[in-house]
Amino acid sequence: MIDTIIFSDIIHGLFVLILGTAALIITQRSLSSLFNIYAVQSFILAVMAIVLFIENGTLNLLFIALLTLAVKTIFIPLFLHRVLKRMPVKRDLQFSFLSPASSIIISTILLFVVYLFFTNIAGEVFNDSLILLGGVIGISLILMGMMVIFSRKRVITKTIGYLTMENGVLLFSLFMAEMPFIIEFLIVIDLLMILVLSAVLAFGIDSSLEEFHKKLNRLGIWVED
Amino acid sequence: MNWNMILYIVLNTAFVFLFAPLLISLIKKVKALCQGRHGTPLLQTYFQLFKLFKKEIIYSDNSSFIQRISPYLNIAFLLVASIFVPIVFIPAQESGFGNIILFLYLMVCARFFMALSGLDAGSTFGGMGSSREMTIASIIEPTTLMACAAIAFILKTTDIPQMFGTVLNGSILQYLPLLLVACSLFIILIVETARVPVDNPETHLELTMVHEAMILEQSGPKLALMELSYGIKQLILMALLINIIFPWGLATDATVSGILISVASFIVKAVILAVAIGVFESFFAKIRFFRLPDFFIIAFFLSFATILFELLS
Repeated sequence: MIDTIIFSDIIHGLFVLILGTAALIITQRSLSSLFNIYAVQSFILAVMAIVLFIENGTLNLLFIALLTLAVKTIFIPLFLHRVLKRMPVKRDLQFSFLSPASSIIISTILLFVVYLFFTNIAGEVFNDSLILLGGVIGISLILMGMMVIFSRKRVITKTIGYLTMENGVLLFSLFMAEMPFIIEFLIVIDLLMILVLSAVLAFGIDSSLEEFHKKLNRLGIWVED
Repeated sequence: MNWNMILYIVLNTAFVFLFAPLLISLIKKVKALCQGRHGTPLLQTYFQLFKLFKKEIIYSDNSSFIQRISPYLNIAFLLVASIFVPIVFIPAQESGFGNIILFLYLMVCARFFMALSGLDAGSTFGGMGSSREMTIASIIEPTTLMACAAIAFILKTTDIPQMFGTVLNGSILQYLPLLLVACSLFIILIVETARVPVDNPETHLELTMVHEAMILEQSGPKLALMELSYGIKQLILMALLINIIFPWGLATDATVSGILISVASFIVKAVILAVAIGVFESFFAKIRFFRLPDFFIIAFFLSFATILFELLS
């Protein structure tokens, strides 16, 4: 057991780092540093789960930490780096709908809206500020991941957005929800994630979505205009 | 105004004057080492300033009184601003002294006169530099205000000496969101001192320059004053960043040993920060002008997040 004040300070510090990495994921253009930032973000989540485990002693948390460490900080980034080696592009310069600056402005607004929502509606249910903070940042991370998905053009950066979203779900589950159910949820999402990764890999990860549709058309899988 | 305050003002100003040029050459040296060059000696900026002070002043025929007075105004505003940032020791409190909003306005006044003097001679480069500087300023000002608001909100005061005192008495663990503000302050420092992702301090007569373009028409002692005020601006922004995040060693009373310790510890911390800035600059290429908002907006986001953190905890 560590001192509760130090405990909440550490968690606060980790939240700070997660928000920082989220902002970088939205604005970063170089693909390889994007993967590294994702790995760092997942690592912070794993550390957070371990700190919570030390505090609460729930064994589930340790498993979550180990799973995150193995899959999201080591396996997925390595995999993505390997894919990157074969790709002709090294940077994602194309943005649709939103420029990085405007998506950051929108995510500040989102952060604030989520904060208002949680304090007004869930504030009485969860009176612990740490739980509330975990919920707010988790949901914001999900929404920011969503924004990455629709504002980026390359499929591989969309995948990063998806993975960030999943990190948000994990963060939310660590603080707000019951563990066993959410673990199942996580595993389902992880499966989906692997599906997306493998599908993208199969159809040429370097293509943007329009080209991807064309390839699918050629195979007769995607029926469009 | 008591003796404590007068002693503080004299010592702080003297220190800022003496130490500011060293940091300019230190950052240059670090950048040179990163590029595999030897670089200039550490005292080079002092030599340059001495040389410039001995030279004659030449004005363009088209220039007005603005160009003659702006170097004095510039350095005056920055020196007054430097008093707001305690480095040698934290003076006994006077009400209304060291207000961070006033500090920001002083910096903006200095910038305004610099931009004006760039326009004054009517040269193409100066005008372009001023126009760019004002464009950048209009984007970075809201961010700076947001960061300062976040600091004031966390530390529950708008007086800079009190802020330092509060962090000094507590621990950084109590004020962890300050780390986020530190990131924004670092970005603001890079922007305000015209460093690489935003501006290149080493280029002359290139189309990319911003800060250098504005002081292009200045010569002799006036140019030296401009250079010196640039150094002072850099030093006080660094001092603000250092003493808000890591004020340990800063003395709270005016004893000889206390002042010596705070000066020595500040020099160590400033050298570390200067090396960090030099290395940071070496890692980056200059960002395209219209992409600069992407860089600033991170600082804005982090400051905003800090305020949210503080609301929740």
